Amino acid sequence: MNMAGGNNTEEAIVVRELEKRFGAFTAVDKISFTVRTGEIFGFLGSNGSGKSTTIRMLCGILTPTSGEAKVAGYDIVTEAEEVKHAIGYMSQKFSLYEDLTPAENLRFYLGVYSVPEKEWAERSAWILDMTRLAEARNRLTRELPPGLRQRLALGCALLHRPRILFLDEPTSGVDPITRRHFWNFIGRIAGEGITVFVTTHYMDEARHCGRIVMINEGRIVAAGSPEEIIRGTCPGKPDADLNDAFITLMKTGK
Amino acid sequence: MSWLRIREMVRKEFIQLFRDKRSRPILILTPLIQLLVFGYVVNYDIKDIRVALIDQAQTRESRLLAESFTAGGIFRITHRPVDARGMEELFLNGKADIGIRIPPDFSSRIRRGETADVQILADGGMSNMASLRISYAVMVLDRLNTELVRELYGRDLHYGKIDARIRAWYNPNLDSQNFFVPGIVAFVIMLISLLLTSIAIIKERENGTMEQLIVTPLKPIELIIGKTIPYTIIAVGQMVFVMLFALYWFDVPLAGSVLDLFLATCLFLLSTLGVGLFISTVSKTQQQAMMTTFFFILPFFMLSGFVFPIANMPEVVQWLTYLNPLRYFLVIIRGIFLKGVGLHILWPQYVALAVLGIMVFTGAIGRFRKRLD
Amino acid sequence: MNPRNIQAIARKEIYHLLRDFRSLYLAFAIPLLLILLFGYALSLDVEHIETIVVDQDRTDLSRDFIRRLGAGSYFRITAQMPDAKAVTEALDHGRATLAVIIPAGWTADLRADRETTVQILLDGSDPNFAGISRAYISGFIENYNRKLLADFLDRQGMEKIRPPVEGQIRVWFNEDLESRNFIIPGIIAIIIMIVGAMLTSLVIAREYENGTMETIRALPIRAGEFLVGKAIPYFLIALIDVLVAVLMGQVLFGIVMKASFWLMLLASSLYILVALTLGLLISSVTKSQMIANQAAVLITYLPSLLLSNFVFPVINMPKALQLVTYIVPATYYIDILSGIYLRDLGLSHLWPDLLVLTGMFSILAALNVIVLKREGL
Repeated sequence: MNMAGGNNTEEAIVVRELEKRFGAFTAVDKISFTVRTGEIFGFLGSNGSGKSTTIRMLCGILTPTSGEAKVAGYDIVTEAEEVKHAIGYMSQKFSLYEDLTPAENLRFYLGVYSVPEKEWAERSAWILDMTRLAEARNRLTRELPPGLRQRLALGCALLHRPRILFLDEPTSGVDPITRRHFWNFIGRIAGEGITVFVTTHYMDEARHCGRIVMINEGRIVAAGSPEEIIRGTCPGKPDADLNDAFITLMKTGK
Repeated sequence: MSWLRIREMVRKEFIQLFRDKRSRPILILTPLIQLLVFGYVVNYDIKDIRVALIDQAQTRESRLLAESFTAGGIFRITHRPVDARGMEELFLNGKADIGIRIPPDFSSRIRRGETADVQILADGGMSNMASLRISYAVMVLDRLNTELVRELYGRDLHYGKIDARIRAWYNPNLDSQNFFVPGIVAFVIMLISLLLTSIAIIKERENGTMEQLIVTPLKPIELIIGKTIPYTIIAVGQMVFVMLFALYWFDVPLAGSVLDLFLATCLFLLSTLGVGLFISTVSKTQQQAMMTTFFFILPFFMLSGFVFPIANMPEVVQWLTYLNPLRYFLVIIRGIFLKGVGLHILWPQYVALAVLGIMVFTGAIGRFRKRLD
Repeated sequence: MNPRNIQAIARKEIYHLLRDFRSLYLAFAIPLLLILLFGYALSLDVEHIETIVVDQDRTDLSRDFIRRLGAGSYFRITAQMPDAKAVTEALDHGRATLAVIIPAGWTADLRADRETTVQILLDGSDPNFAGISRAYISGFIENYNRKLLADFLDRQGMEKIRPPVEGQIRVWFNEDLESRNFIIPGIIAIIIMIVGAMLTSLVIAREYENGTMETIRALPIRAGEFLVGKAIPYFLIALIDVLVAVLMGQVLFGIVMKASFWLMLLASSLYILVALTLGLLISSVTKSQMIANQAAVLITYLPSLLLSNFVFPVINMPKALQLVTYIVPATYYIDILSGIYLRDLGLSHLWPDLLVLTGMFSILAALNVIVLKREGL
């Protein structure tokens, strides 16, 4: 399903000199990067590095102080409405309605995304099936284990078939098995042409990403594929991983 | 604007509200209890004045005095203390409202054609009641005087005097309920639409789901409408309930038009919802919202003419009440219930309500920022 | 009980309060607002009744009557209307609440020693106001009749007949009959309920909603220690509010205690404790802030206002409600306050009230501990 308007099948997200200041504090300091359609793009950094602020700007939750960005071909400041139709978002808190059932949560978001009513039954079934929540559909969300809730949150973010999926620390506090299932799922989605933008502070998860950007104190400190970054920062260390790369980058101070 | 989105928001809100088992009884109980309490509590009628009598004369005339007090059925001699100390104790313990002390030379002075003094003591504790009781006592004495004069001088003095024909309009029996119950309707509406609306919005924020909503195509105005409609419906529902109760249990008359009432309610709701919205924008937690709501409701309530008359307030404060939507709503609602008047007479109040409502509501919407910054 | 545990809980609660500046500010602002409102704006006394007059007689005598009517502070003559129809309109519009109609031929009747009438119309909407207005206008007419009688006797050349009975009226307690004098002390009871009960009613419910109750349950803290620690900051706030209220009552309105300040402090502290335990109990039981708040309004604020003999006389209420007032803590506290402020009473008269308050506190505290223990604290 394609949305009319917008353009650009090549670059899903284009960010140029994006900046966010809170008073005297600069959270995001004029960063630039591009995300290609269909790739899994990782945004890495420790807590407070500016990655949450960046993703929120791209999703239309915060307004940038300066700079510009295009998401799905739409400008995030002037065409915010179109951006919202084209993206899905899942936050680290899995903001779901605890006192509603999964079926009710889904129905709500179907309405909010203006999906035509005649497609609701089909969409609901599709998501419940894909997230394997069909059995739990009428239980209160509050009573579901975290793994199922994560899946529900993901389902709610996907049911309107967005072109880009934004995930903000999606695997915080989740057990390793669920985490593996999660990344498998993400891989499948990306395979269908959906661009996935992930922020995380788990460096080891970044190997699932096609390309990553490392951010620290509001500035990009490294960009490229995981291998490129490791090779670049820790030459001569064949077993180095992204953790080492990151630490090395921190030590050299920029 | 998408009605689909609004519809789903309203639906979700109702599901959440009624799923919480405890909120269901509260919705019914709150207005009901208020109705019962206000309907039966707020009552300034003088029904029973307890009299402590010290009769130091013990003559026919002194007994006549005592009887003239009890004859009307309002005064009741409950104590006969032996001395002033006893009287004082009764008053200190709040056991008597009026004290009467008849001196020993009461009858002798009267028969000599002189004036006999009777001491009337009043407990000034609740001063409005005290004033009334004193007035009644004086009236009893006046009537007694007329009779005594007739006895003493053996004739009815036919002189030109005034017979006051007093009639009370709109609430002829001076039923307290008729006065307060319409006001309770107003209060109930205000509480629900103000408090629950702001709480609903803040809960969304506290849960984190507000952030999720911002990311969706949901527009701020749709969010606001989606949040206010459910509570408007509930407020009107409660109003109907209260009105039915008032009409059939308390027999409060409804002399005017229900349509006029409905129109006034809608205009009134504009103000209250607006304030609720405003509170949601300045409060970060539920606790703050509740305290702030209380801080608003209190003066709105007190300075509206609900219990305390506006005419009694200092000039400055009276001017302030012009900004209180509840003031106008009360005038309208009492007018409709008790006086049988409507839009054609009360249109200034309607206009005031409309102006206030529009100003508050649009101001609140403007302030309502869907974005987190 | 371990004081260190209590201290820890109290400290955490104080931090929370300090950070939530708005709630703290309101805890002091609301009482101030109440005092200012009730001291300056709200009064049940009846004065300046807006009156319109229809003089269909139009003689010197009728004009004199009208002049006397408007002379005092009771009636404020706002307009003279030509006829009864105009009266209807004025009353409908609310431009006046009392109308006095002097019929044509009034003076002629009086001079011929015939009884005549004056028609009085009251707006009965506000029964309190109407009742007192009625008493006042009746009193005025009675007074005028007495004057007519004296004139008559004069004209007849009869010796002055003195009225046989004259009432010497004295008012005890609140001699100037200002409603403010009994309302302000009563406000303190309401203030304490708002700060002590409504605020605390959110406290424990909040912990449940935030999930921090789980953490607390795992700590070696006993229910009693938890309650005391939670209560301490609010006790202090309430106490400060009381002192401020007393001070303001004195400074702004000249309302002074006739009896012992220490007794007042003792009673207030006891009542604060009752309010606190009540609020905490509501909190522990409801576990939801929104519900706790509504329950608190119903259980603490409304009864203190309505069922405590504060402004609305309990005597006038149906028996069933009168019984209810016996379990409202504010009833006893207001009794004590009015005793101290208006009647100059001491411990000898007030000990039963104090005893009841102590009893209430004990029961509520015990219930609180039971409820918390049942939840696993």
